[in-house]
Amino acid sequence: MFKKILIANRGEIAVRIMRTCREMGIAAVAVHSEADRHAPHALSADEAVPIGPAEPSQSYLNMDRIIAAVRQTGADAVHPGYGFLAENADFAERCEREGIVFIGPPARVIRQLGDKITARRIMHKGGVPIIPGMLEAADDPAAWAAAAAQTGFPLLIKASAGGGGKGMRIVERPADLAEACRAASREAAAAFGSGTIYLEKFLPRSRHVEIQILADGRGHTVHLLERECSIQRRHQKIIEETPSSALYPVLRAAMGQAAVAAARAAGYVNAGTVEFILDPEGRFYFLEVNTRLQVEHPITEMITGLDLVRRQIEIAAGRPLSLTQEEVCGRGHAIECRIYAEDPERDFMPSPGRIAYLREPAGPGVRNDCGVCAGFEVPVEYDPILSKLVVHAESRDLAIRRMIRALQSYVVLGVRTPIDFLLDVLASAPFRSGKTYTDFIATHMAEWAPDGQALELAALAHAADAMAPKARPAGRVAAETRPGPWHTLKHWRL
Amino acid sequence: MDVRLRHKENIIAFAVEPAGDGKFSATFGDRRVDVAFERISEHQIRLSVDGRQTLAFVAETPEGKSVMVDGRTFLLADERAAGTRPRARSTDGPKAVTPPMPAVVTQILVTEGGAVEKGQGLLVVSAMKMDTLLTAPFAGVVRRINVAEGQKVAPGQVLVDIDPPAADGVAAPAADAAANDQGDR
Repeated sequence: MFKKILIANRGEIAVRIMRTCREMGIAAVAVHSEADRHAPHALSADEAVPIGPAEPSQSYLNMDRIIAAVRQTGADAVHPGYGFLAENADFAERCEREGIVFIGPPARVIRQLGDKITARRIMHKGGVPIIPGMLEAADDPAAWAAAAAQTGFPLLIKASAGGGGKGMRIVERPADLAEACRAASREAAAAFGSGTIYLEKFLPRSRHVEIQILADGRGHTVHLLERECSIQRRHQKIIEETPSSALYPVLRAAMGQAAVAAARAAGYVNAGTVEFILDPEGRFYFLEVNTRLQVEHPITEMITGLDLVRRQIEIAAGRPLSLTQEEVCGRGHAIECRIYAEDPERDFMPSPGRIAYLREPAGPGVRNDCGVCAGFEVPVEYDPILSKLVVHAESRDLAIRRMIRALQSYVVLGVRTPIDFLLDVLASAPFRSGKTYTDFIATHMAEWAPDGQALELAALAHAADAMAPKARPAGRVAAETRPGPWHTLKHWRL
Repeated sequence: MDVRLRHKENIIAFAVEPAGDGKFSATFGDRRVDVAFERISEHQIRLSVDGRQTLAFVAETPEGKSVMVDGRTFLLADERAAGTRPRARSTDGPKAVTPPMPAVVTQILVTEGGAVEKGQGLLVVSAMKMDTLLTAPFAGVVRRINVAEGQKVAPGQVLVDIDPPAADGVAAPAADAAANDQGDR
C-alpha cells in the first residue's frame, strides 16, 4: 500500500480525500496556490506544498509544479480529485511515465472516453444503447443535413471535446441547422481548442441518471447503483439523490448491466461514472463516462456504506476488488445539495468574498463535505463550490425532511449561497412527488424569489443585535496578557 | 425609538420600546410584539418573539448586516445611518461599466479612442469559472481603459470610461462624477 499520497486538488474534495488517507494510515500531501495558503485543505494535510499563484494555469493545472511537489515530498501516488487535472490524459500519462501512480483510470482510457464521439463508437460496439445520432464527426453542412434527416428535430449539437454545456445547442428547425453547427463549432474551438462537433437526437423531458462503477485491474467490474442528477442550473447539477424515483428493479438492473458493459468495452479501471439519459418511457441511452471521482459520490457512499476513495486507492495499489455485485445493496435514501458561493436571485451569479461566519449543520444522517471556514476569503479564480450537504434517511420523504432541517440550520454569512433556493426546491410539490426532470428549474422555479416571511424576524434580530452589547475586543487582549486558569492551576485531576 | 431598515428596495419601519432586562416591544403599524433577546456570541443572538424562541445569526459584510433566521438570510441596512452605505450603485450603476461581482479581467475588446455602440462588448470578466461580458451602457467613445488583463476588479470600480457623443454633452459630466466617486471608494 502507498505510504504517501499527494492530492492535486483543493477545497472540499481535497479535504474529503485526506480523511480517507488518514483512516488508511497514509500520509496526505496538500498542494496549494497563494490564494489558498489558509484554506482548510492546506491546513488539514500532513504536508502542504505551495505551488504558485492563484491563477489555475500557474498552480493546480500546472503539471510541472505538481510533479515537482510529488518528487519533493516523496509521495508514491497522486489523487486528482475532480476538475483540474482529473480527466487530463496527458497528466495521467506523465505520471505513468515518471513512475508515479495516478489514482484513476489508465491514460489511454481517459483519452478515449474524453472524446465524446470516440466514446459513442466504443459504446455502440460494446452493445450499450446510445442516443440516435452521428458516430463520426463531420464539418460540412451536407453531412449535418444527412444526419439531421436521420435523427429528426429537435436535435442537439454537441462538442466532441465538450463539457459544462459549452458548444451545446438545441436546433428546432432544419433552416437553423447549418448556422447553429458553425456557431457551436466556433464556441467549442474557443473553449476546448477543438471545434469538432456531432449531432444527436434531442430528448426533451428526460432525466439524467448515472451509474457508479468500480473496476479493478483484473477485469472485475461492479456497479454501485444509480444517482439521479436531473436538478441542474446552466447544465450543472445542484441536487442529486439516490435511488432515483424513476427506476424500478428491472430497469435498475438493466442500467447497471449496461454500465458494467460500458466499463468493460472501454477497458475501464478504478472508479467511474456512466451517465445515461432516461426518457419518460423508461428507455435509456449512454451519454458519457466521467473518468473520475464524481462530485456527488457521497450519496452512493451513504446508501451502500462503501468508501469510494478507499476503493479507488486500493484499486490503484493493484489490489483486487473484494466486492461482488450481490454484496452491493442500497439502504434508505440519500440526497446531496451543492452549496455554491452564488446568488440565486441573480441567475446564480458567482459570489466570491470573505466568509464572515459559518455554522455547519449536524445531527443524525447529516454529512457536510466542506472546504471553507469562517474567515476564509473564497477566491474568484476557482469553482464556486463551498460544500456538499448530504443527508441519509430511511425513505425519500424522510430524507427530504432531513435535508430541509439541515439546510435551515446551515449558516453561511458573507457570501451568497443558494440555501434559500434549495429549501424551496425541496419543499415544492413537484420535487416531493419525484417529478425531477432536467428542465425542473426552468419549469418550476423560473419565477422564484426568496421567501420574505422571516423578514420581520430578521428585522427584530437586527434591532436586538444593535441593542445587545458586544464583548469588547479589549477584553480579549486582557485575557491573553493576564494569567489564565492554565497558568495558575496547579494539581488537578479529571 | 424608530427603526428604519432597508431590505433591497423595501423599507421595514417599526418602533422599538426598550423594556429593560434584555426585553423590548416592537410595533409594526398597529401590531405589537414582545421580544426578549440575549447575545450568545458576536454572531449569535437568542430571540424570543411572543414566546417563540429563535436563534439568529448576524455578521457585518461589505454589503450591510447579514442576518439569518430560520434558514433565510437577509441583508439589512440601517436607514438612520444613511451615508455609511453607498447607495450610488443602484441609481448610477447602469451608466457605469463595472463588474457585477468580484472578478478577474480576462479580455479587453476595445481600445482607447475607439467608438462603441450601445450594448457593444467592452471586456470580459471571469469569476469562479463563469465569464461575463460587460457591454457599453450607451454609445460613445472610449476615453480610458482603467484596467489590464489579469487584474482583479470589484463591483463599483469603473473599468472603462466612455464619453457620450457630443449631442449628449449635458449628461456626460454627471455620469463621470458618479463614476469617479465609485472608483475612489
